[in-house]
Amino acid sequence: MSVDVDALAERLDRAQRSAAAVRQLTATDQLDVPTAYRIQQRLVHLRTGRGERLVGLKMGLTSQAKMTQMGVDQPIWGHLTDAMDIDDGGTVDPGRFIHPRVEPEVAFLLDGGGAPTAVAPALEAIDSRYAGFQFTLPDVIADNTSAAGFVIGAWRPVPVGVDNLGVLLEVDGRVVQTGSTAAILGDPRRALARGLDQARAAGVRPEPGWVFLAGAATAAAALEPGAHVRAVVEELGSASLRVAGPATEGGAP
Amino acid sequence: MRVEEAAAALREAYRAGVPCAPLRERLLPVGEVDAAYRVQRRMVDGWLADGRRRVGAKVGLTSVAVQRQLGVDEPDFGVLFADMAVPDGAEVPAGRLLQPKVEAEVAFVLGADLPHEQPTTVDVIRATDCVLPAIEIADCRIAGWDISIVDTVADNAAGGLFVLGTTPRRLGEVDLRTCGMVLEHGGSPVSVGAGAACLGNPLHAVAWLAGTLVAAGDLLRAGDIVLSGALGPMVPVIAGAAYQARISGLGSVRVAFASEESQ
Repeated sequence: MSVDVDALAERLDRAQRSAAAVRQLTATDQLDVPTAYRIQQRLVHLRTGRGERLVGLKMGLTSQAKMTQMGVDQPIWGHLTDAMDIDDGGTVDPGRFIHPRVEPEVAFLLDGGGAPTAVAPALEAIDSRYAGFQFTLPDVIADNTSAAGFVIGAWRPVPVGVDNLGVLLEVDGRVVQTGSTAAILGDPRRALARGLDQARAAGVRPEPGWVFLAGAATAAAALEPGAHVRAVVEELGSASLRVAGPATEGGAP
Repeated sequence: MRVEEAAAALREAYRAGVPCAPLRERLLPVGEVDAAYRVQRRMVDGWLADGRRRVGAKVGLTSVAVQRQLGVDEPDFGVLFADMAVPDGAEVPAGRLLQPKVEAEVAFVLGADLPHEQPTTVDVIRATDCVLPAIEIADCRIAGWDISIVDTVADNAAGGLFVLGTTPRRLGEVDLRTCGMVLEHGGSPVSVGAGAACLGNPLHAVAWLAGTLVAAGDLLRAGDIVLSGALGPMVPVIAGAAYQARISGLGSVRVAFASEESQ
């Protein structure tokens, strides 16, 4: 059975642009991982075709818990475009998302060879285009690994060790998740090496100035209207965003 | 309330090396935390009479998630004895514990007493001589870790053994709120977290303990070790496994467990 890669990419693209969830692609089409990455590639072409610019790469499933949950032993990777870039401290319109969540991460700034020249605390907004945030591995790969938005804090030189920096996720000033960069494949630099290997194998070459989101250091929190969300990373500082809209009664759950 | 019977059930679990049924309902009403501490007190008095040397205290239930699980809104505490200390890197013999779990935390070593019922963070900072990375090996005398708040309080707050790192650090050298923690088994993380997971900051846990002990007619003293509470989820021990905890700014500490066959 052949898969219409273009049609499936367009379905996901429409879902993202209209902020309306769709059924999993695998509900109707049998997808393997290589085909899923072809759909993602096509999806990204649709975005760049509208004038969006590729600005980096991101990793998914970098924690042991998530890999176990999805039954895989490899992380997955996706693309970042300038349309996903949210200024540090900036406000984001929740209407552009379906059911957004946010995770604290670390980001690397890459040179042309893919080597990290700087590191920063980061927030990633993820938003599965699938109903109920439910998906199989090929589904989430095709959906550009749920990429939706990202905030990068201040860049600084890469310290000698970034393998065990404490990470806090704060919502409205309260710590809602705690973790360590060790949750990112044991060391975010390992995520960087693996991600670049996987991307290069797919013919993607990092450009100087690209951002690399290494993966989540804690479980995600829901991104609620009115919420102020901040990632605090030991030694690196913080990155924050505000969600437009009135705060819900009693704040985030 | 049957304080002596509850203590007897726990003593028998220790003696026989076999966990007992939950104490709640049967011997201790679930809401009676004070009675549970009376059971703990009775156990501790017995141990002191046996010649065990008290070296400090531990704070438990310092994570919001764990408190919610047990339906409580404050931590609990237990007593540490010298014979619970395992040297860094040593192996715990098989059969020494009933159903051990490990967690990584910050250990405080006090240089002064904390005699105030409402200690401030500054009181704790001034009384702290040094901090060390620690692995707490919790254990539970209740079958299957099927515990309510009264079960675990009576059971010395799930005290088992503890391992301390050997390079003391001053409080000024570490950020106890943001410090990262990773507990590894075979080079892979099995638990990760950060300082804030412990009541927002391990200093708060020590302040809570100091004040709570004073209110109960006891106190933390100079020289005491305080295990301040887990920085990440507790994980069940696998026989034969070795664990290493690293806390950024504090260094590392490790412990091994003998395999079952070597018993």
